[in-house]
Order: sequence, then C-alpha cells, then structure tokens
Amino acid sequence: MKNPNAASMNRRKFLRGTGVALGLPWLETFAANDSGPDTAPKRFVSVYHPDGVGLPVKADPAWKDWSWFPRGGERDFELTKVLDVLEPLRKEITIYSGLSHPAARTVHGHSNADQYLTGAATGGHGAYKNSISLDQVYAAQAGEFTRHSSLVMSTNGGVGGPRGAQTQSYNREGRPIPAMNHPKQIFDLLFVTSGKDAAAKLARSKSALDLLIVNTRSFGRKLSKHDQETLEQYLDAVRDTEVKLTKARKWIDTPVPKVDTRNLTLEAGPKEARLYFQTMYELIYLSFLSDSTRVATFQLGRENGGGSHDLLSKAVGFGNAHGLTHAVKKPKGWENLGTYNRYQAEEFGRFVQKLKDTREPNGQGSLLDNTFAMHGSASSSFHLSRNYPIISAGGKNLGFKNGRYLKFGKGNEDNQAGAGIVSDRGWQGKVAVEELPLSQLFVTVLQRLGVETESFGGITGTLGRV
Amino acid sequence: MRKIGTFPLSRIGALGGIAICCLCAPASSHGAAPGSAESSAKQSQSSELPPLDRAREMGRAKSALLAPVLRKEAPASAGPSTANLVDFKKHVAPVLTKTCVACHGPKKAKGKFRIDTLDPDLMQGGDVDWWLEVLDVLSNGEMPPEDADVQLADEDLTKITGWLGSEIQKASAVRRNEESHSSFRRMTRYEYNYALQDLLGLTYSLVGSLPAETASGDGFKNSSEMLQMSAMQFEMYREIGLKALKHVTVSGERPKMVVYRLPMQDEKLSVNSNEDIGEVHPLSQKLKKGEKPVKGVSLDQRKRSVKFNLSNHLPDEGMMRVTIRAGRSTMNTDEYANLRLDFSAHTSNNANFSQVISDRDMPVTASADSPQSIHFDIPLSEIQRNPFRNNIEKFPRRDEFLTIQNISSGRRNKEPLKVLVDFIEISAPYYEQWPPKTHRDIFRESDHKTNEQKYGREVLTQFMERAWRRPVTSKEVDPFMALFTEYRPDFANLEEAMLEVLATVLATPEFLYLAQEVPASNSENPQTISGLELASRLSFFLWSSVPDEELLELARKGTLKDPTVLSDQVKRMLTDSRSNRFAQNFVHQWLGLDGLDSVTHVKDSSLLEAIQEEPVAFFDEVLNRNRSVMDFIHSDYAVVNERLAGHYQIRDVYGPHFRKVPIKPETNRGGILTGAAILAMNSDGKDSHPLKRGVWMLERILHDPPPPPPPNVPEVDLTDPRILQMTLKERIADHRNSPACFSCHAKIDPWGISFENYDALGTFRTKIANQPVDATSALPNKQEIAGMDGLKRYLLADRQDQFSGAMVHKMTSYALGRPLSFSDRAEIDSLTVEFRKKGDRLGDLIHLIVNSSIFHSK
Repeated sequence: MKNPNAASMNRRKFLRGTGVALGLPWLETFAANDSGPDTAPKRFVSVYHPDGVGLPVKADPAWKDWSWFPRGGERDFELTKVLDVLEPLRKEITIYSGLSHPAARTVHGHSNADQYLTGAATGGHGAYKNSISLDQVYAAQAGEFTRHSSLVMSTNGGVGGPRGAQTQSYNREGRPIPAMNHPKQIFDLLFVTSGKDAAAKLARSKSALDLLIVNTRSFGRKLSKHDQETLEQYLDAVRDTEVKLTKARKWIDTPVPKVDTRNLTLEAGPKEARLYFQTMYELIYLSFLSDSTRVATFQLGRENGGGSHDLLSKAVGFGNAHGLTHAVKKPKGWENLGTYNRYQAEEFGRFVQKLKDTREPNGQGSLLDNTFAMHGSASSSFHLSRNYPIISAGGKNLGFKNGRYLKFGKGNEDNQAGAGIVSDRGWQGKVAVEELPLSQLFVTVLQRLGVETESFGGITGTLGRV
Repeated sequence: MRKIGTFPLSRIGALGGIAICCLCAPASSHGAAPGSAESSAKQSQSSELPPLDRAREMGRAKSALLAPVLRKEAPASAGPSTANLVDFKKHVAPVLTKTCVACHGPKKAKGKFRIDTLDPDLMQGGDVDWWLEVLDVLSNGEMPPEDADVQLADEDLTKITGWLGSEIQKASAVRRNEESHSSFRRMTRYEYNYALQDLLGLTYSLVGSLPAETASGDGFKNSSEMLQMSAMQFEMYREIGLKALKHVTVSGERPKMVVYRLPMQDEKLSVNSNEDIGEVHPLSQKLKKGEKPVKGVSLDQRKRSVKFNLSNHLPDEGMMRVTIRAGRSTMNTDEYANLRLDFSAHTSNNANFSQVISDRDMPVTASADSPQSIHFDIPLSEIQRNPFRNNIEKFPRRDEFLTIQNISSGRRNKEPLKVLVDFIEISAPYYEQWPPKTHRDIFRESDHKTNEQKYGREVLTQFMERAWRRPVTSKEVDPFMALFTEYRPDFANLEEAMLEVLATVLATPEFLYLAQEVPASNSENPQTISGLELASRLSFFLWSSVPDEELLELARKGTLKDPTVLSDQVKRMLTDSRSNRFAQNFVHQWLGLDGLDSVTHVKDSSLLEAIQEEPVAFFDEVLNRNRSVMDFIHSDYAVVNERLAGHYQIRDVYGPHFRKVPIKPETNRGGILTGAAILAMNSDGKDSHPLKRGVWMLERILHDPPPPPPPNVPEVDLTDPRILQMTLKERIADHRNSPACFSCHAKIDPWGISFENYDALGTFRTKIANQPVDATSALPNKQEIAGMDGLKRYLLADRQDQFSGAMVHKMTSYALGRPLSFSDRAEIDSLTVEFRKKGDRLGDLIHLIVNSSIFHSK
C-alpha cells in the first residue's frame, strides 16, 4: 500500500530530522565564499585614536571652527578647520554621525577602546570578556591568500590591559592580539623573514598529520560501515589542516617581496611623532601593495594616555595628548584639541592619497578603490562613549559611495548632545538621543568584503544609505 | 477559557492510563481495560481531595505497566516476528473504517492525513511513524474529536490499541537488528575537559576555546549525531593537548618560590620547606596613619575583605598556592563563613579589572581556638593577569592585587561572627613534590632511562594505553615511535620531543572518539560490546570521562561483565566524586537548564547560583537515597540552601550548602516543577510564560514534544484595545482560538497555565495585577486541571507510567550517547516495566540500565 500522506506533518520525524543540520560549528561559516586569487584583493584597515574629539556647544565662539563634525547636508556638507585637511579628498571620504556600540554607551570613555571593533559588553569594572573584532572576522577569510592574515599595530604595542587596550584586534575567543609598535620589527616580519624555525615546525606538523591519517585509516577498518562514515569527518578535518599547512609551507618557500624603502624611517619612535606616524602608515601601504596582508589595524596611543607614549601630539607642538581633552575650557583649549585631531586627519589623508595614487597591481582602479579604510574613536565629547566620530575612505569597487556626510539616529542632528561637557555628568548621563549600532556598519562592511554574515557583535542587520 | 463540552469522566481516567500500557499489551487483552481509573477521576473532581502522597499511591495501583497481565507477558520479547494481519482485518480495520475513515479517508483527508492507506504491516511497511501517531492521539483521548459524528467505544478502542501495542513491540524488536543505532561518537567538550584532567592529573579546564555542543532534539549534548568535527576544532585539540601536557610536566631544576607572608606571623606554619623559597615579600595591608602592622586579619560584616598588593613579583606561570589559617569567633549554627579569592589590577584610570579566581567558596568551620588551614590553588597562566607587570616603565601600573573575601551570613547577634585569620602565605610556583606526580605519571622511573629508544617506547606505550583505554600492540606504537625519532633532534631533551608526540596521541580518534569495534567474524556475541568498551561506556555515563585503572583492569581480566562485579563497580563509581559530573550534566541536559544562561531578570547573583544548583542537588538527593523518581513530580521535602530557602519562604535554613528539609503543603513547593529554575527559565523576563512552560512540560517531563511552530504565526496585536484589556490567560485563549493555532496550542497551553501561580522568579502568588490568579485549564483529553496542585495530582494519578517511561528513555539515551529510535522501543518498554516493578527508584534505574542488554549492545 502506498501512503499518500504529506511528509509535512509527522512531528516526531520532524524533530528527529532537525538538529542534524545545525551541528556545524559557527566558525565554519567563514570558510564559505572567498574572493579568489584572480580578483583584485579586498582590503580593510582601521585606525583608532583615543580621547575622542572636540565638541563645543554652539554658543561657544570655538564652535564655528573647532567642532569636529561637519555642517550641512549629506552632499553639501562643510568641513570645519578640524577636518579641512581632507577637503582635497572630499570625493573619497564619508563622515558618519549618530553611530555607537549600544553595550558601552554608559561606560567611561577611558575603558572603551577595547570594544571599538568588537561591540562587546566589556563594561567598566569587574570580570572582563571581549569578542572577535571586525578585522579578524575578515582576516579569517582573507588570510587564506596572503602571507600574513593581518597586520596588527599600535604606537604603544602589546595588548594593554583590560579596559585599557593597546590593540584593536581580538581573536575568536575574544583574546587580544598583541600589536607591534617598532617599525623595524614590523618591516622585518613583512619583508625580511627567514622562517627557518617556522619551516621545522611545519615539517613536524606535516609528519604528525601523515601519521594521523594512516593511523585513522587502520582504526577505521575495525569499525562498522556506518561508523566509518562518521569517522570520515575526522579524516576530512585532518586533510583540511594539511591543505592549510601546505599553503603555509608555500609562503615559507616564496621569497619575501622587494619594496621601495625610501619613505621608511625604521628607527623612528613615537617621540618623533610625525616621522613615526608616516613610517607606520607607509608600512601598511607597502604590505597592501605587496599583498602581504589585506587586513590592518593601527591604534594611536591609548585611552587616558599618560607615560612616554602619549607624545604623538608633539608633532603639532603639544605635550601630552590626553591632557588636551581636559583643557578644552582653558584659553585656546578647543583650538588645541582641534589642531591635534586635524593633524591625525592630515596623516590619515596622506595615507589615503597614496592609496589613491597607486594603481591596483592585479585589478581595476586604485588601491584605494579596493580598500575600506576607517578612522575613528569610541568617544566623541569628553569621556562620552556615544556618537563616535568616524571617517571612512575608499572602497569604491566594494560598493561604497563617498563624498557624503551621513547622519544616523534621531534627535542629535547638530551633534550637540553631550557637547561642551568636561565632567563625568556626560558619560554617566542617560542616553537621551537615538543612535544606531555601529555594528550595523560593520555588517555592511563585512558583506561588501565578501563575508557571508547577517550579524556582528550580537547586532543583526546592515546600515542603510552607506 | 473555552469550556469544552461534557465528557464521561470514566473515559478520561481510562485513556490516561492507557497512554503507555498499550505498547506492551498483548493482542489477546481485548476488552480488559486496565486500571481502575474511574474512582480516582471521580475523586479528583470531588471537593475533598486526597493528599498528594495518597494520589501517588492510587496512581501506582492503577499503573497499566504493573497490571498482572503484563507481568506475565513482558519478558517474552522473542515472539513471532511477522505481522498479525489476521487480527487487523478481523478486529481493527472494521473499527477504523467505522470511526476514522469519514474524516481521514478518500472523501476527506483532514490534516492531510488518510488512515485507510496506512500499511498495517509494521514489520516491513513504511508507516510505523504514522501508526505511533495514531496510537498517541487515541490513547490521549484527542481523537476522535468530541464534536465528531462517530465516537469510539471503549471496547473498540482497546481493540485498536491492543493490536497496535503488540505489533509495535514486535516491529521494534525486528528493526533493532536491521537499523543502525550507533553510539560511535566523539567526546563532548565537557567530556574532553574531564578526560584531560583525569588522564593527566590536571586540576583546571583548558578547553574554553572549543566550540560548545548543540543539544539534540531530546536536549542531550552527548548525542552521537550532533557531535561534529571540523578542521578548526581538530587544530584546537592539537593545541590544547600540547598545552595540557606542558602544564603537567616540568623540566630542569626546581624553581625557587616567590613567597608572600603577613608580617609578624609564625614562620613555622609555612607550607614550604626553606630551601625551596627564593624571595620572601611581606604582605602589606593598607594601614592608617600611625597604625602599626598587626598580627593577622579579622573579617566580619563590616570589614568583609582584605586586599593585598602583590606588586609584580608573581611568576607568569605555575600554580599559586594561597594558604589561609582561619577560625570562627563564634560557633552559632545559624551563621556561616566562607572564603573567596579575587584577583585584580588597576593599570590606569578606568582601565581596571577584577575577577573571582577561586573555583568555589571554602567554608570556615573551625573555631578560632583551633584554626584550620584552607588552601587555594590557582593556575597563574589561566587567570587574567596585569599585562604590564613585566614592563620597565612604572606606568601603566604594574601591580597585581589579591583580595580575600569573607562571604558570610549577616546576623545581628550580640557577638557578631568574625573570621580570624592568623596566617596567610602565598607561594608560586608551588609544587608539592619535584618533579610533580603528574610529571612522573608520564615519565616514569625505569631501568632504561638512559636508552632513549627503549625508554621512549615505554613512555609512549604506557601513555597510549591510558589514552586509548585499551592495551596497544607494539605495531600500533611503531609509527608514534618513528615520529619521536624524527622529532628528537629538534629538541634539547627527550621529554620535550616526547610531549609533541604525546600531543599527537591526544589528537587521535582512539582518544577523541568512543568506539565499538566490529568483532572478529568468529565472535560468539557479535552484537555485544567488549569488556573494555563496557568500561568506557560506563565511565562516560557516570563520570563523563575516561575509565580509571580499576575499571580497565577488570575489563582486561574479563570480569567486568560479571553482574556482581558490574554492580559493585556502579556503586563504587556513584560514590566517587567524579559522579557529580553525571548529576550535573544529566540534569542540565534533561531539564534544559542552559536556558538559565540567557535569563537576565534574576539580578541577585547568589540567588541565580542557588536557583541553578537546586535541580542538581534535588537529583542528588533522590539518587543517593535511591528514592522514587515520582519525587520529581512532588515531594514533601525541598532541597535548598539558605538563599533559596529565603526565596521560597522556608525558615531556619542556614548556610550555602544544599540539604533536604521537610516542607508543608502551604509552602507550595516540592519536586522540580515548582523549582525556581524551571519557572524563571520559562518566563519572558517579566512574567510567567505559559506557552514555554507547557512546551517544557511536554518535552522534558512527559517526553511528548509538540511540533515546532508553523512559519506564519500571526503576531498578537497589542494595539488592539480588546486584546490589551485581556489577562495573559485570556490572550492565550484568544490566540488559540484562531484556527491556525488551535491544534498545537490546545495541546500545549493547558499544561503551562497550571503553573500560573508562579511568577517569573518562581515566587508563589495568588493575584496578578490585583486579579485572582486563574490557573485552571482543561487538557485535550478534557481532563480539568486546577493549578499546580491539580497538575501534580493528575500526573501522579494518571501519568506515572508515562513519566517513568520518559525517565527511562531519557536516561538510556544519555547513557548510550545516542538518540533512541523505534527499534529501541521494545527494550525501553520492558526496562520501564522492570523499573516500575522495583518502585521507580532512581538508583535502581542506573543499575537496570547498566545491566540491560541495550547497554551491552554495539
């Protein structure tokens, strides 16, 4: 007898059926959809600066020139003196307002560099836990094609402390990835590496994997046919690991690229701020040009500064950079902070210009057209973890349309929420205006870089208009 | 709520009783409606209700599984294995045609279902799942609907269920030999963690980076089909294995210890011998101006903690032993004191962290006159450290801090309880011996230590036998030995090279998977697992980990399968502390307690901890005292600690440990249904969630999961003023009455509504928003249920067979690490009968399962 009953109903059958498809670890999803080696590389770089930006109240005479955010509409926006250095690149950049990570909006700005690229609820005290950063999500995919999956840099180096990050990058377990800060060390890694130890280690791994495959086959022979099929998944895992190993091995055998070193001052330190800065940017540029990596992060200083590394502002004649944010109400205070932020924008602009002026070696347009470059901070006004000041540049070939000032959220169109505050009233205060989750921009960025995902940092959905 | 018709009460009880019984009922039992349901159903409607323990006795008395006719037939599972189509044609088909075909036949096919086309051959046919569905809806009184033209007479019902029950039993046994039902699987993350710990003597977890398991449809994480493997995961196994091996072995000379002590204390109390000590640093308590350093520390309700600056002397790795000698100033039994350790740093403004580093709070029970020594061992490489500690610059700050916290109950006695500490010593890296035992267990003493090939082979063989849980041949060791020989020149000494090889052993499927080998073709019992496989199955069941040497030794000797030996081993294993993992993991998965991880409305962390712990503690009590599992439905005791007792308004319970206390009916607790874990987890964060609670009941307690929600569920329109005015229960009823929702919700909601007297925190209530709570509902079989008491009463009176069957099913599935299928049904049913006969006792269930043929099958 043939049963015409629709297969749609039986609940027990259904329940038995489900789970199976869900068993794959979520990490697997990153493996899908790559940008093949024959298309132009898609790149991502994020530059982070601590201490936020100047945000005087409208009534303040300094507002006209030294408020960070532009004036006007999406296309006809007008840059203040803080960002006017980017005027020549106007068509290549987008400036955002009204974005922030919801989990940290009432956490002190000093604690927040940690979560800028992760969106995690890292909090203000007690136990600490972070999650994977945007760059590393992409690096897991883009790293397939390059010698280094990512380049992680900061002026201060290392990981910093919990809530005092000195790196912008966090791995899939939420552990900080140490940042490099000596140009010489970075250059050697990128362009001098010999790799003898690495080769020996790979050779040992290769032998172990070979053994495991042979051993597993003989183990499998003792199992039932059904169980052998299950075991096949283990063998696949070992084989996939071997493939990765072979790739790594290939890089060891491939000579490091030769690059033009004229613009590098490898002995520069943060005290020679301008030179150091330019050298670090130049290293990112060279690593992109040689396709040594497609992912880079760079953190300037650390939140709450202090110590010998907070000297970047020397380039424009100031002492400790963090102090500038506390002195905005002193004579020329807004101007001084604005001048420092202007200098950061200027160096970012120099880097962007260079990407723009360089043709993509294996593809259409310029390096910039295939690169999404971000510049920003996790606070706007004094210690205030809202309305992040973010600039992005490039990415034309990824689908980004620049030359715009994009305001998101509601109730803070003139960026006056929290303006002019120099006390803790600001960051402790209630969130009165509506902002959108920055992670929505991150989802958009990931998708355009070719990562199949609908969410990031617990936030689902993309950002409109970008 | 919609009132659903009138229905003869006698039917209800009888149907409830049949729910399980008909599975085992022999075909000849036509007409013999089992049980005496009539009386209890009537009683449950009368105003004078018997106490719950009486309901339980009566429910047991009418169990169909315990009916005499079954006792005779149940063990005879080796009946004829061809379909009984004669009886079908003669007795069953006419009834189906008369009763069902009008709606489920050629003219109409309601619910897209036709009964006339089902293949009555359950042995060979393809419609077994549909027949199971038919049996369920008939047994639970859901079909035919009460507004149907035709009704089903009891006699006819028994004809169908009798025939079906017997056919299902036979078909299950037939399919058992045909279908694959493999327990071959990899370890879960938690099992891998315990296996590493037990194998290597590691005392902490290193597996945080491994992805967590997805639970199966049954809620189990150790279910074979859910345990996948990926390249990423495989690489992690290799990394973690090597890391673990490095953590338990040492090289070179014993490192000198950094020691901190309170000033002015008696050095003779030191746990360390002097020659092992390098630097000694005073522990500096912050002193007020002019205050002199004191001997010891006094902690009470006002000064709850003491914080020490350890500067940056602590090593990066190794164990930190914190020894605290402490006693209580008073010995009042209504007060307790515990010690807890916190570790923190404050590197610059707002860049700080602190974390609890002790696994669990350590009770202070001694009096101050004869204080006790309390030890904490903390792996320094596994806690959050100050990343700047080794910097040359002084900023960001490099200091690390240790805080000793006094976690105690605060009572306003005349003489408040103080914890008096007269000695504190912090030593790191701390080793009890050198080299430590964990090292010597891998690199054992041997006469061949000087001959690297010989000694290497010894080390490898010993290690492989423990990791693979069986003897290994020298041929199996050869390739690993070859790997060692290849690695050796890259490393300074044998140990370092060997660790890399041992890490490879820890990445083999022989370690990572639980396997049952195909026996040699001349084997006597090809379907039976070997003694060594039994040892592993047993230890993963009761210890969530690898077997110990005693189990392996018995397996090698071939005596483990001896019922007496096996029974003794189960007893030994259940008294071993490793069996805590069984209670923990089984209860968490059975009840779905992961749901508590996403609960955010329980703000008090000590309450949340207690809520999470209660079901496990309750299970422990039932298991250790070998009580009946019916206690899970209702008990006249609760298992609580002080925090939870406060929440339940049970008085005179002091201290953080869980213990059994008698309760009265007006406490409105007892069993697990009224545990705050279940109630809080199945809420929406603000109020109760009857739907979630109903689904939970069906899945976890009755093992009768509802279908998943359809894709186009209409949202409840909260802008509609009519709906806004309704109580929650009315809204549910309103939603249910839309035709798209009715069929499922009618089955789910009534169960959940009976929990309405408990809010989102599990607190008992009689009013919601000033209106009296309405917790009455009617099940699809028309059974009226009045609140939690009514629910318990009904379960105890009419659903004992179903619940005990569910327990057997779930425990067996967990024990085997695989989902159970139709082919296991016959065995599960006969196990359930045995279980019921022995009095439904939880401890007996473990023994029954371990001795069952299903547990010994491949």
